[in-house]
Amino acid sequence: MIMPRDPSKDGTSLNCQGTPTPHTETLAKLQDRSAWLRRTLFDMVMRSRKGHIPSSFSCAETLLTLFYGGVLRYAHGAPNHPHRDRLIVSKGHAAMALYPILADIGYVPEEELENFTRKESLLRMYADPGIPGIDSITGSLGHGLGVAAGYALASRQDGRDQRAFAVLGDSECYEGSVWESALFGAHHGLDNLVTIVDRNGLAIMGQTEELLALDSLEEKFRAFGWHALSVDGHSYTALQSAFGQLGNTDGKPLAIIAQTVKGKGISFMENRSEWHNRMPDDEQEARARQDLQTNCITN
Amino acid sequence: MATPLQRDVFIDTIFEAAQSDRDVLFLSADLGAKALDRFRAELPDQFIHPGICEQNMIDVAAGLARSGKKVITYAMASFITARCYEQIKCALAAMNQPVTVVSVGVGLGYDNAGPTHYTTEDLACLRALPGVEVWSPGDAEATQELARLCLDRPVLRYVRLERPALEPLYHGTFSTVRDTGLAEIAHGDRVCILSSGYLLHRALEVRDLLRPEGIDLGVIDLFRLKPLDTKQLANTLRHYKKIVTLEEQCLDGGFGSAVLEALNDSQLHRPLLRLGLPNRFFFENGGRSHVLEKCGLNPATIALRIREFIAGQQLAQPTQTGNTLIANPARAAATPDAH
Repeated sequence: MIMPRDPSKDGTSLNCQGTPTPHTETLAKLQDRSAWLRRTLFDMVMRSRKGHIPSSFSCAETLLTLFYGGVLRYAHGAPNHPHRDRLIVSKGHAAMALYPILADIGYVPEEELENFTRKESLLRMYADPGIPGIDSITGSLGHGLGVAAGYALASRQDGRDQRAFAVLGDSECYEGSVWESALFGAHHGLDNLVTIVDRNGLAIMGQTEELLALDSLEEKFRAFGWHALSVDGHSYTALQSAFGQLGNTDGKPLAIIAQTVKGKGISFMENRSEWHNRMPDDEQEARARQDLQTNCITN
Repeated sequence: MATPLQRDVFIDTIFEAAQSDRDVLFLSADLGAKALDRFRAELPDQFIHPGICEQNMIDVAAGLARSGKKVITYAMASFITARCYEQIKCALAAMNQPVTVVSVGVGLGYDNAGPTHYTTEDLACLRALPGVEVWSPGDAEATQELARLCLDRPVLRYVRLERPALEPLYHGTFSTVRDTGLAEIAHGDRVCILSSGYLLHRALEVRDLLRPEGIDLGVIDLFRLKPLDTKQLANTLRHYKKIVTLEEQCLDGGFGSAVLEALNDSQLHRPLLRLGLPNRFFFENGGRSHVLEKCGLNPATIALRIREFIAGQQLAQPTQTGNTLIANPARAAATPDAH
């Protein structure tokens, strides 16, 4: 069955079942989640022959930490809850990495994962608020941090303890609008605004440091007035520790530069820019499935 | 009392509502106004200066609007349209966010400022986006009613304000025509002219010029270009045998194009003369009136063109029509390569 899209649906309508709370799983369970998310995403891509595997895999632990590592406040099955935290995967080509999670937490019917990108189905390659739980349209880079800043400012003006998270690609930081938003977040002291930069080091055409150097993103965000730190973006303990600084940033927004590996989990895709949106052939698919049998996340 | 500026009227109307509604937020990308000084002073929590960062201003507006805020964004016309067009497209239009985008100084409104500050393409650009209403109020009263509409019936709305004060047109009647999107300011015979904003007032001057010659020119204020009520437009225009459009935009895809499309879609076939700016940039000094005159948009030349049109002569503009690849011949000759 294909769930029809409902453009009228958005996260602002009232639907107050449950109270949004963080959900915390054990490290062992989180490690299982890493394997589960990668395998599910790989199946979705191989079925549809659409999507971006390496970009989704590099931010997998970031998203899993947010949803299952005790960070995001949300209520199972209540995507329209007005008080849930906001999350924008601003690197829209990796927005699909959210879909298995949104299905798992009851926002999206599980069977929609099988329909990914099928004619008239719900889940698109890039996301938009017509999909339950999606807080902004994505696909064009450089918008998510500004929209998240708007959410964060509104929340503060209304006296709600609600946070806004934006997951940015490192190459997305080439967009000037990202830095306009960085100025804005710092000036307004939005300590309920968090950006996680997925620092996998690759754009479509090669390594960022060879194309147009970005380092140090941590220092850049700090210079813009953010509380900034770099962590291993595939380590749950490191990510949880970084998110743990939320609320203790001296009134500054929080920037977490997550050092990651593009394609993490599939050996021949790791750190290879040419795999950005390439599809594996039969032999490569078999090798990838073999790789995905082993959990690549150890801490 | 001096005629108020459109921007002051608009902001004062928003201010009145904002005093009792904390959700009304006003964002200005470094464009001031007398009325805005009061807004900032008295409602500092509801005024946001996002820096000269139009792109971020629009993205932030989307996040605020999705959180239930009533958001007005405000900047110089050129910078709140072309500069952040993609943000308007993605964050506002594609997400259907009810934000008001107010531009000041449309057309050649920033006298002598040149191509960077002129917006001679904003109608073509903005009307191409799905879900955007496009309004060009012609006087202070229309501006005030429009500001109220933005608060009472919020949708994604592009509001084009003129820099100079415009003389009163409606005298208390605008509310009766507001929702139709157009008004027949002067009923005429056989031929009519459609315009909006600054040039609408010039159209009225042209009517006065032609009247002694026995030409009774109808004048129609098409203040809402999108959505265009094609049925209402066709009903209004059916009475006329020939139609003229007058715009301070490059003719490609702008006001006259919208009218032509609507007439075609209504199967109302009338000869139509489009008067507007040629498709080039305007570097020359001399101010708004000078550039308009150079482009044949001074009242006397417009009157002449209408006389010729009535007499069945050519429809093309007499000078500077088409795609001029060299923006300004004099300037092109002065480039280093030419020496």
